[in-house]
Order: sequence, then structure tokens, then C-alpha cells
Amino acid sequence: MSTSTASLTADRADSTAPEQGAGRRGRTLRRRAGMVLIAVFVALYLVPVAGVVATSLKTNAEIAERGIWALTGKLTLANYVDVWSTANTVRYLINSFQVAIPAVVVSIAGGTLIGYALAKFRPRGGTAIQLVIVSGLFVPPQVLLVPLFTMFRSFDLLNTLWPMILIHSAVGFSVCTLVMRNFFEQIPDSLRYAALIDGASEGDVFWRVMLPLARPALAALATLQFTFIWNDFLYPLVFTSARDDVATIMLGLLNVKGQFTVAYGTQASLAVIASIPTVVIFFVFQKHFVRGLLSGALKE
Amino acid sequence: MRPTTRWAILFMGPPILLFTAIVVVPTAMALRLSFTDANILGQTSQWVGFDNFVEAFTNEHVRKSIRITLVWTLFGALIPPALGLGIAMMLQANSRFAAIMKSALFVPISISLVVVGQVWIWIYQPGDGLINQMLGLVGLESLEDAWLANRSTALWAVFIAWAWQQSVLAMILYLAGLTSIPGELVEAARVDGAGQFQVFRRVIVPLLRPITTVVLSLIAINSLRNFDLVFAMTQGGPVRETETMPMLVWRILFRQHEQGLASAVSLILFAMTLVVIGGLTWWGRRGSYVD
Repeated sequence: MSTSTASLTADRADSTAPEQGAGRRGRTLRRRAGMVLIAVFVALYLVPVAGVVATSLKTNAEIAERGIWALTGKLTLANYVDVWSTANTVRYLINSFQVAIPAVVVSIAGGTLIGYALAKFRPRGGTAIQLVIVSGLFVPPQVLLVPLFTMFRSFDLLNTLWPMILIHSAVGFSVCTLVMRNFFEQIPDSLRYAALIDGASEGDVFWRVMLPLARPALAALATLQFTFIWNDFLYPLVFTSARDDVATIMLGLLNVKGQFTVAYGTQASLAVIASIPTVVIFFVFQKHFVRGLLSGALKE
Repeated sequence: MRPTTRWAILFMGPPILLFTAIVVVPTAMALRLSFTDANILGQTSQWVGFDNFVEAFTNEHVRKSIRITLVWTLFGALIPPALGLGIAMMLQANSRFAAIMKSALFVPISISLVVVGQVWIWIYQPGDGLINQMLGLVGLESLEDAWLANRSTALWAVFIAWAWQQSVLAMILYLAGLTSIPGELVEAARVDGAGQFQVFRRVIVPLLRPITTVVLSLIAINSLRNFDLVFAMTQGGPVRETETMPMLVWRILFRQHEQGLASAVSLILFAMTLVVIGGLTWWGRRGSYVD
């Protein structure tokens, strides 16, 4: 639109035309320069990321000789092959998925049920229930450690994956309830009544009418929860530190770091492997993630 | 009983039971523990009243960690949001180039703090660390340092690594906020004679206030909870210079085995979180144009 306005003005007043052309050239030049500056800035910002990736592709001998940030040397996948076949890497990855997938599903399912009930059934005491559940967002994990440790020990669940599955499911209810309640509040009640008059039960309305509408919000929560649970290492550290074969990938990464203090290439390749799932999910669902964060916090 | 009440119980009952077992009851148990001198797990414990809280506020290590956490939260509320907003304004153009740059910048926030800690250790380490190499390159060898082992630089070194990641979180949210500002508003302000800076101060910043509240709340929670990065990089050292409150709780629990004191400190942290979030919510509502 602005271009057509500019050309119209130029047509009308010939005397200003050359000046306009120069201005436009200047602007293009400035934009190019701006792009270069931005690209340089982004590249510098990502130096730490590039550092991990580059280090993972160098041999440990090479790094020991020339230092970790040297820009020389040939690249090899040897560390990946090594980490994949020797360390417990595959076990760690399986453990992480075994924690993350059930915990993501349960936290979102529970949060959706609570959020829906609060928004649509409006039970007496609903405000108090919401307050308690949302306050869970502000409880530091350290508050829960001792009581949960005692509890899991008495059920003989220490050094299994159950503590992480249960904790991440329950702790996740807080954010999922907040987001889903806000979401269902925005959906008009008339939709629910119409379906009820047509003879559907409350369960049918929820399952067939409301849940399909909620798909974007659910995708947002799935991204948020998966990233959070995958990257956590506090709970594995407390509840499974005695057995390496139940370690999640993040705890495994810490263990490897302790074992080979100077094998930077080994550490880096494991770090890259550990990061791939969340980085991929972020790229695929980046828009959902933003919406998830905003819808959770913007309206209370 | 109203039928909707029955449905509500059916829907909410099971998840609320799990939440009660994993969050509510343990929090209550922690509260009870904080009034006892419980030490090694499983031992019976004596009621000691407010002794643990008195101890917490008089013990120099606890006081120091409260100070570190507060300083961290204050700078956390300033630096990552400002940097994030700056990057967001830089990248808000709706071009392919900007989209690629944005996607690339998503990487720091999607990786774990264990990985962040690991690479920043390599940046700070003496010898072949990146900073020291750079200093050597420009002939400033005299400034080289073991950044994470030096008592006066360690805290800021860890903070910078954290701010590097959290700025991206702020950027993502501000990008979403900037796209929601109607272009006509900015145009109108320009027509009325506002300069770049005035548009920024009088139009963009006020309209971003709800987003700023979200950014500050998330970053405040992350500041107050900061355990992962400190554990991965320094474990609280050197000489407890980077011992944030969650790190201190960890130490009291697993080195000193004093669960009563650890519970008291963690509950003080909980109370601090509630105060900060309450304040931010009030600030956000007060200036909201929507309500």
C-alpha cells in the first residue's frame, strides 16, 4: 500500500521523483545492512549451541590437543557411535520416554477434566479448588522432597520410574487446569445446552463436542509439558540416584559428566542426543508453545 | 445433589485425589516437619516450635542464600526481559529472514539447563575456555581468570548463562505481544508527531504490559527455583558464593541431614514466591487497559 501511495505522489510531483528513488535505494541498503547485523547477532548468540555441536563432532584426542574451541580438525561421528554403543544411552532415552509420555498424558487429561468441571459445572467451592490447584505452580519442588521420599520409600518405589511419573502428572495439573479452565470459559454455554437438549449426556458433550474444539490448547500443553518433564533432573536425582539403569537421559548426562571429566567429545554428543527430542518438538510446535504460555497466564 | 455436582465430582475426583496425595499432603507434612528437629530420615522427631525459622533468619549461610536469591530475582526481572524485548523488536518484521532467525533463537530455551550448564562451563573454564582464549587473542592475557572458581565472578558467570536462556523465553512472549499491537495505533502516534522513542515509551510499552506481567511472573518463578543450573555448574561453590535457596535446601538435606531446617527454608522460599507473584499480579491488574 505504501509503495502505491509513494508512486502516486511521485507521478503528481515530478520534482520530488529523483529524491524518492534515492530514498528507496537508501532504505533497501539500510535494510540489507540491518539484516547482516541481525544475522551476526543471532550467530553470536548461538555460539554456545554451536560449541556443543562442534565439540560432539571432534575426537577426544583432538580436543585434548588443541582445546575445546579450536576451529580446526576434521569432523567425525565417532563420539555418537561410541556413546550409543557403550554407555547406557539407549536405556536412558527409553526411561525418559517412559516417564515423559505417561506424565504428559495424565497431567493434561487430569487438568482438562478439572478445568472443564470448574468452567462448565461450576460446583460449589470451585473457586477454592482452583486456588489450591493453581497455587501448586508456586510450590518449590524442594518443599515436597522429604515427605515424598518417605512416602515412596514406604511403597517401595524408590529407584523405579514411578516417582517421576506420579509427581510430574500431579504437579502438571496446576498449569493444565489453569490453561484449560481459561479455554473452556471462553466457549459459550449455549453450545453445551444445545447438545444436552438433543439428548447427549454431559460425558458425550465433553468427549464429542468440547474436546475436539480444545485441540489447539491441548497441543500447546503437550509441548509445554513434554519439554518441562524431559528436561527435569531434580526428581530423578533424588529418587533414582542409586541405580544407573533407571536414570533418565538428563541424570545420565550428569553421571557421564562425573565419570569422564575431560572426555568433552563424549559429553557433547550425549548432550546433543539428549536435546534432539525437545528441539524437534519446539520446531514443530513453536506456535503452540507460545499460545500455551500466554493462555495459561494472561487470564486468571 | 444437583446432577452437575455429580458430574463435577466424577470429572474432578480422581485427579484431585492424586494432586492431594502428591502436592497438598506433602506440603502440609513439610509444614509440620519445619516445626521439628527431624534429622536422619525415618527417625522420630521433637517439636521445637519456631526454632528452625529463628535459625533460618539468623544463620549466616541461610541469610546469604536469601540475599543471593533476591539479587538473582531482581536482576532476572531486569536483564532477560529487556534483552528479550530488544531482540523481539529487532525480529518483529514479517519476513522469511526474520522467521528463520526466530526459529534459530528457539534452540536455547528448548534445551535442558544441564546442557546449558555444561557448555557455559566450557566457556568459562581456565586454559582452553572460550573467554580466556578470546582475551588471549586480543592480548589481554592478564585478564584471564577461572571465572567459575573466582569468588567475585562465579555468581555473575552462572547468572549470565541463565540470562542467556531466559532472554529467549522473554523474546518468544514479546514477539507474540508485538504482533497483537494494531499497526494503526503506532501509525496514529506517528502522525501525531511522536518520534521513535516516544512511540516505544508511550504506545508499545504500555500495550505490552499484560505480556510483561506474564514474562516477569515466569522469570521470577524460574529465578526463585533456580537449582538445575547452579547444580550443573558450581553446586553452590566456590565457598557458597552461588548457593541459591534451592541449592542450600539441597545441601541441608543431603549433607547435613536436617530435614526440619530444610523444610523451614523451603517454606520461606514458598512464601517469597507467593509475595513476588502477588505483587506482580497486582501490578499487572493496576495498569491493565482491558479491565
